[in-house]
Amino acid sequence: MAVRAVLRLPEAVLSRVAQPVGVVGSEERALAADLVDTMRASPACVGLAAPQIGVARRAFVVDVTGHRKARSCHGTVVLFDPEILVAEGVETAREGCMSVPDLTGDVARPTRLVVRGLTADGGERVLDVDAFEARAVLHEIDHLDGKVFLDRVAGPSAVFRRRVYR
Amino acid sequence: MRHFTLTAVGADRPGIVAGVTGPLVGLECNLEDTSMTILRGRFAMVMVLAGPDRLEAKAIEAAVSPAAEELDLAVWVHAIDESVPQSVEGDTWAVSVHGADRPGIVHRVTAVLGGAGVNICDLSTRVIGPEDRPVYAMLLEVVIPPDTDSDELRRRLEALAEELGVACSMHPSGADVL
Repeated sequence: MAVRAVLRLPEAVLSRVAQPVGVVGSEERALAADLVDTMRASPACVGLAAPQIGVARRAFVVDVTGHRKARSCHGTVVLFDPEILVAEGVETAREGCMSVPDLTGDVARPTRLVVRGLTADGGERVLDVDAFEARAVLHEIDHLDGKVFLDRVAGPSAVFRRRVYR
Repeated sequence: MRHFTLTAVGADRPGIVAGVTGPLVGLECNLEDTSMTILRGRFAMVMVLAGPDRLEAKAIEAAVSPAAEELDLAVWVHAIDESVPQSVEGDTWAVSVHGADRPGIVHRVTAVLGGAGVNICDLSTRVIGPEDRPVYAMLLEVVIPPDTDSDELRRRLEALAEELGVACSMHPSGADVL
C-alpha cells in the first residue's frame, strides 16, 4: 500500500512485454493496491499499468469516474492478465501519459470493448466498456505490451509538445 | 555546450536529411528539436543543434556546404541564446480557418490572436483545390491564457471570418492523461 514513483521513458521496463500473472495471490493484491494508490496520487490520472511503477507483470488500474468524456464507468477497476474479446468502432483523440510527460499525441482507438481478466480477489471479470473508459483500458493494455502512445500515432504531425502538466 | 539553429530548404528528393546530418555527426552535434516538411515541393527543415563550446556557426555551415551544393539546398546556421524562453501557460485549442484564398488571411487572424494574448504554438497553411479557384486552409494550435475569455475570442474570430468570407472554428484540444 504505497504511492510508487511513476517511471518515464527511456526506462526499459516501459518497452518490454510484461509477464502474465496467472494466479492472483498476496503479492498481486499488494501490486493492485500500489497501482490504485499511485493513480490516486495524481488527480488528472485515470489509469496506470504495472510497468509504469517498475513491475513487468500484466496488471492495470483504471478509474474514469467523473470524467466528462466517460460514458460507461465501472469505478475503480483493477484487472490482471486482461484479454480483449471484442473491439469495435474507431475514434481519434489526444492522449497524454505520465510516463511520457512532455508530449501528447492523437491516437485512433476502438470505441467499445469487451475485456476479460482476473480481479484482485482472483475471480474472473468481464467488462463491457465504451468511450473514454475503453480508451483508458486500451492505453493501459498497451503498456503491458511495451507500447506507449508514441507507438500508435499516425505520424509526426500527430505528436505535440505538452506545455502544461497538471 | 552551445546551441545553433540550422535551416535548409531545397527541391525535395531522397537523401536530404541524411546528407545534411552526416557532417553534423562529424562535428559532434546533437539534433534536439527539429521540424521538417514539404512546402510546395520544397523540403524545408529547421533544427536546433547542440554542439561543443568551441564550435562556431560558420564552421557548421562550411561542413554542411558540400552536401548543400550537391543537393542544391540553401542552408543557414545561427548561434542561439542558451536561455529557453518560457511559453505562455493556459489551455490548448485548435483553430481552423478555410475559404477562398485572398491576401491577408494569416495576418488578420493572427493579429486577433496576438491582440488577445493568445500564443501560437503551431501553424500550417495549405493552398488546395483547383488553380482557378484556390482554397486556403490554415490550422493552428494555440494556448489561450487563463485570463482570456475564449467565448469573446471566438466571437472576434467569427466576425473577422465573416468579413474575410472564410470559415473559422475553434475547439479545445487538450490531452487526457491516461
